[in-house]
Amino acid sequence: MYIIARNIFRFVVVILFQVLVMDNVMISGYMIPYIYILFIILMPFETPRWVQLLSGFALGFTMDLFTGTPGMHTAACVLIAFIRPYMLELLAPRDGYEPETYPRIHYYGFIWFLKYTVIIVLIHHLALFYLEVFQLKGFFSTLLRVILSTILSTSTIVLSQYFVFRK
Amino acid sequence: MRTLLRFFQKYSNLLLFLLLEILAITLIIQGSSFQRSKLIALNRQVSGFVYNKVDGAREYFSLKDVNEQLVEENTELRNRLDQISSLLDSATVLNEVKGEHRYSFVQSRIVNNNIYKQYNYLTLNKGKEQGVFRNMGVISDQGLVGIILESSANFATLIPIINRDFKLSAKIKTNNYAGILQWDGISPRFAVLTEIPFHVSLSEGDTIVSSGFSSIFPEGIEVGKIESFSLEKGNFYDIRVELFTNFQNLYQVNVIRNYRQEEQLNLENLHR
Repeated sequence: MYIIARNIFRFVVVILFQVLVMDNVMISGYMIPYIYILFIILMPFETPRWVQLLSGFALGFTMDLFTGTPGMHTAACVLIAFIRPYMLELLAPRDGYEPETYPRIHYYGFIWFLKYTVIIVLIHHLALFYLEVFQLKGFFSTLLRVILSTILSTSTIVLSQYFVFRK
Repeated sequence: MRTLLRFFQKYSNLLLFLLLEILAITLIIQGSSFQRSKLIALNRQVSGFVYNKVDGAREYFSLKDVNEQLVEENTELRNRLDQISSLLDSATVLNEVKGEHRYSFVQSRIVNNNIYKQYNYLTLNKGKEQGVFRNMGVISDQGLVGIILESSANFATLIPIINRDFKLSAKIKTNNYAGILQWDGISPRFAVLTEIPFHVSLSEGDTIVSSGFSSIFPEGIEVGKIESFSLEKGNFYDIRVELFTNFQNLYQVNVIRNYRQEEQLNLENLHR
């Protein structure tokens, strides 16, 4: 029960933080930080897959409502919610994940978290930016936006581990 | 039957994933400009309240910039007033001045500004109750900004030049050749003017203004200046236009009310 309440709270916080703060951070058209997927990244290991998928859908849809985009965030979020369990399997330490732990720096170290975050963020940004452009014209300029934004989002997410989600 | 059930059980997550993705993709494809505008109008009502609160804080921090802008605008207006009054003194009767006013302006503020997406929308803090309706033009003291897409009681969404759905009939000030101004989705500082035929002589720095062919903008509102041009597509120029409006610090805008818009549209519709 406690875990569910905490996750709902986190859902609200990341959305509000993204919409009210991050969407106003304008460094350049090539660097847009999307950190709201932190919610998907931090979901507990043992979350049932269908819950992950539906949470991803809800997260993306809420984001779409706030930014006025039809379905783009939804598609990208559902995609990473689907891929996340496979990524976790792929990156699992030799003895597997221990019970009572969460996918965070505090438990599995900086390198593990960085790898995991980069992959999830990159997939999300690839899907989101190409869906937004919806054409192959300017393929490389979009790719540049994806890569630069991935760097920015990932660093913000990793930093948040040291300041907000310390344990 | 049992195999079917087992199949569903085995692939239930994959099926759920596909179902949700199809739903999202349908949203994207179905989300035509019109539906998007409805969706945005809905979401603005929800988030307008929140944004308004945030805007209160932002307003405080940008007071200095706004002050400077206002001073500049004041000087500019005073200069124009001088010019006009000298014209009036010499007893020139201008047609625009003689009758009733054709245009009036509604002062408004931007309360939400997203400029780094492909389909950017801005939100204004004036709506139907203040006389802001669909298809009204919006300008700032820097230049042309965009067109009102939808308005609720106290808010309006605005489709700016830097939205890939935006199209504007614009002309070159020096020779009056008109083309179509669009955004290429790359930088919020530049747009592209197309359909200017190859025989027109251009030079960098020429001013681009609204053509006045639509009933939305009066003629001659400044949009930008030519940054570079090329003749790659045969008969028409590709002109890169540096926009006068800096969307990054855009704050105060004016919505244009054209009192004769309805009259003009009615007349034009007679022949369609």
